[in-house]
Amino acid sequence: MSRELSQGLVPIGGATAEIASDGRLTILPDARDGGLARRLRQPHALAKRLFGTPSDAAITLVCAALLAWAAVPLLRWTILDATFTGTTRNDCTGTGACWVFIRARFGQFMYGFYPAGERWRVDLAGVILLVASGLIAWPGLPRRRLAALLALVVLPPLGTWLLYGGLGLRIVETREWGGLMLTAFLSIYAAIIAVPLGILLALGRASRLPVIRLISTVFIEFWRGVPIIAVIFLASLLLPLILPNGAGIDRLARAVIGLGLCIAAYMAEAVRGGLQAIPPGQAEAASALGLGYWRTTGLIVLPQALRISLPALTNEFIALVKNTSLVLIVSIFDLLGIAQAALADPAWVGKTWEAYAFAGFIYWLACFGLSRWSRRIELKAARISH
Amino acid sequence: MPSIRLPLAAAALALAATSAGAQQLAPSPTLDAIKARGHLECGVHLGLPGFSFANDRGEWSGIDVDYCRALAAAILGDATKVKFTPTSVQQRWPVLQSGQVDLLSRNTTITFSRNATLGVNFQGINFYEGQTFVVRKGTATVPKDLDGASVCVAAGSTEEKNAADWAKENGIKISIINFQKNDDAIAAYDSGRCDAYTAGIGALAGQRIKLKDPDNNIVMTETISNDPQGPTTRWGDERYQLVVRWVLNGMIAAEALGVTSKNVDEMKAKSQNAEVRRLLGVEGGFGAMMGLSNDWMYNAIKQVGNYGESYERTVGMGSPLKLARGKNELWTKGGLLFTPPFQ
Repeated sequence: MSRELSQGLVPIGGATAEIASDGRLTILPDARDGGLARRLRQPHALAKRLFGTPSDAAITLVCAALLAWAAVPLLRWTILDATFTGTTRNDCTGTGACWVFIRARFGQFMYGFYPAGERWRVDLAGVILLVASGLIAWPGLPRRRLAALLALVVLPPLGTWLLYGGLGLRIVETREWGGLMLTAFLSIYAAIIAVPLGILLALGRASRLPVIRLISTVFIEFWRGVPIIAVIFLASLLLPLILPNGAGIDRLARAVIGLGLCIAAYMAEAVRGGLQAIPPGQAEAASALGLGYWRTTGLIVLPQALRISLPALTNEFIALVKNTSLVLIVSIFDLLGIAQAALADPAWVGKTWEAYAFAGFIYWLACFGLSRWSRRIELKAARISH
Repeated sequence: MPSIRLPLAAAALALAATSAGAQQLAPSPTLDAIKARGHLECGVHLGLPGFSFANDRGEWSGIDVDYCRALAAAILGDATKVKFTPTSVQQRWPVLQSGQVDLLSRNTTITFSRNATLGVNFQGINFYEGQTFVVRKGTATVPKDLDGASVCVAAGSTEEKNAADWAKENGIKISIINFQKNDDAIAAYDSGRCDAYTAGIGALAGQRIKLKDPDNNIVMTETISNDPQGPTTRWGDERYQLVVRWVLNGMIAAEALGVTSKNVDEMKAKSQNAEVRRLLGVEGGFGAMMGLSNDWMYNAIKQVGNYGESYERTVGMGSPLKLARGKNELWTKGGLLFTPPFQ
């Protein structure tokens, strides 16, 4: 049955692939790739698309009017009538946004209450993260697989050490963390828990061993069924009541673990979708060659399954980035939380629009960047299998 | 038999000695823990203008925060040795009950049922909160002036019910204009659709600044509901509760006695007033009775200030909120702030 399903046209990321009956994959030329740029180079075609029929023309005009109706005031508020320079509320003389507020609070929006003298550590951690992911994404890197594995093992503890301190670095308690840095930390570390766990759970759910299948299914259904906000709340408030003397795990760590377990369940289902798209003939062929379960899974099934589930995994990760703002209910100041906290300063009370617009913009930038990045990986992955 | 009597006598002697010591100092695990870790753990509000907020430099400030600093100064001699845990409405009780903080100093109304059922004690009142009105200057000064006025409220809110009940009880006619959200109600008041908008004093103080012309609006100081707030501790550890209670009393007493952060050194050196001398630890040894240094209130006043200084700096005329003292004024000046004597 699944053999039939796997034949024909399947979308892989933004591209379309044709799977022949022998399982060979052919990537079809994607008309949409770079489409806008090409269309802009052909004004005639563009005009024909926009104003081809009377109804097309009407829709185009209505859309343009809506855009102008929304864009003009937005532009005036954000730029033309806005105030950019100054240091206090009294400098906000324009009728538009007062970005002075964001400037005065920029450090907090980025680092929370992280001590100013130690912020280079956050910057360094960020640079290491970007350089490492850039290197691993670069195809020319020798022994890439090994390097990626090494990065996964070495970087998370290194990042924790840089941010938290100890061993020669001044300790910065997690209550002083905040802002974008905390949002990034929560997202990345929750993903570090969620992705491997999600893959194992997906394999477990597809396993032939009933006990493993049962455990995985129960785990996935439990964590998928519980609201994330409840998990964070319980992890942060009930655990200290149960544990003696309120001691134990740091509250940020509890939030990361709670988030990670929840997202793992969602990621498991995304990976399971990928696993089911792999025709069983491949695993059968692998075992006919004498490969065991782990080698079949690791060399044949998983690489393809992950490639297929990449869009869904990215989706989960973007959802995770935004879900991190739920930690606000346990008073951890992520990007959104620090924006709200800033609004409680009598010096800036009432600058609500600026705070939320800025936080929203950063979230959008992060999520848009992620989705573009994942699309590039998808396309590249599709090309490799070609 | 002397061989038995002797140890018995020794034991009796030892017992007498320790009970004499115990009479002076009950064990206090909380104070011991604070001293051992070197800082106070204080639970504050996530962000409430004037009461608890982080300023541009990331330092916590506000009237509730000031109290924590004073307590840290009294216990540890240093007002900076306090760490703040911001708490949301949902987590404030568990955070206190599980011992993650030594006390809560955040806007939380003192009520009987909380006191009786949550395992918490309220150690005094540092802010008499209550529902009141913001009006345009010159139109009204106390709630009863609002006869015949229109009031903007969010539909179905506690404030709407309180205002309606209060008007009925007092035989005053007000027309309530409902809006879906608080923000809409404020915007309507600001645009002149109603004569007043109602909420708690603390909330109104913050909202007044958001109005188009804040200086032309005033927040009434007389309230129509009674929501006193103050530092809150767990049940147990009487000696620690004593300290929490009397540091607040000490800040109020200091204002009543005219001791400020500016003149505290002079007062300590020269004052002949017995209560001032006891408060500042010159005589009486009051600090030692609680297991603290006799400088306890001197440190708190020197480093943080008396109640009035803290009020004016955070929510009063020295702050953007510009709240008048109202009920939060000394009992000798028409307010409700009162402290038992330092005797």
